Amino acid sequence: MVEFKELSYEVVEVGETFMSDDFLIKPEDVATFAFAVDDYNPWYFEESPFGGKITHPVLLGNQALFMRHCKYMISAGLHAKIQFEFLEPTRPGMRVRSHGKVIDKYERRGRHYMVTQFETIEESTNTVLTRGQFTQMLFPKSGVHQDAKNS
Amino acid sequence: MQKTADAIQIGETLPITKKAISQRQIDCYSGVRPHSIHTDVEWAKKKGFAAPLAQALMSTAYISQIMVQFLGEGFVKGGKLSAAFIKPVLAGDVLTAHAVVTHKETEGDQVRITVECWCQNQDGVKTMVGTASGLAKDLKISGTRK
Repeated sequence: MVEFKELSYEVVEVGETFMSDDFLIKPEDVATFAFAVDDYNPWYFEESPFGGKITHPVLLGNQALFMRHCKYMISAGLHAKIQFEFLEPTRPGMRVRSHGKVIDKYERRGRHYMVTQFETIEESTNTVLTRGQFTQMLFPKSGVHQDAKNS
Repeated sequence: MQKTADAIQIGETLPITKKAISQRQIDCYSGVRPHSIHTDVEWAKKKGFAAPLAQALMSTAYISQIMVQFLGEGFVKGGKLSAAFIKPVLAGDVLTAHAVVTHKETEGDQVRITVECWCQNQDGVKTMVGTASGLAKDLKISGTRK
């Protein structure tokens, strides 16, 4: 049983780990992603040089980002930075899961950040498909964000 | 057809990708849920934004699109992307994604091609800056950075 907590700078701990739910990459996920980012490369729908269809390289970025939701309630946050390393092509039909670890948290100019390292793995072979890290700015509990005015 | 490493020039500008970002696309990318700054208009306003925000990761997809077109397999397997998101992107914004070749370096028996990349909105304001790289197929390279 998971006891969900509200994610905050005070609560999150360096060294704590996350694990996403497993996810079967379905053709409809590939199609939805293509619409969302307006990228219909034929490698994602027909044939690629890797043999068969592959997916957009960053299709699973959200699985990594959302693995924190398996532990925390996150009302809002802004993505500050991300690094990806694409090790193997991702394909429809793969069942994948992301694992992560908080490697840093810090305060800068009155703002709170957390840094999470992640790997996304194909479950049947334990092959690492993508790895990287992301830095997330955490909203204050009061709500309105300082960066909102630049819109 | 992707270029070979020796045909890629430092300073080369890659074709620009333009994206008019609709709320519907953001909904598909992020998944609709209440109390989301991406898909809940009232919640976004409560958090101080004029409209829902496009998820920052969408900009990495635009850069990936450029890199897959540029380096093909060498980005899908062996590619790297590092990005900082410096301004919010709102539903209705029109982004252009840009990339310029900055480095060519031998990596094993291949050549890593690095670009400086960024996205900017319809007002010319940069919203994302970073670098991306991938491996070029051809080994016949001249002018490799030492």
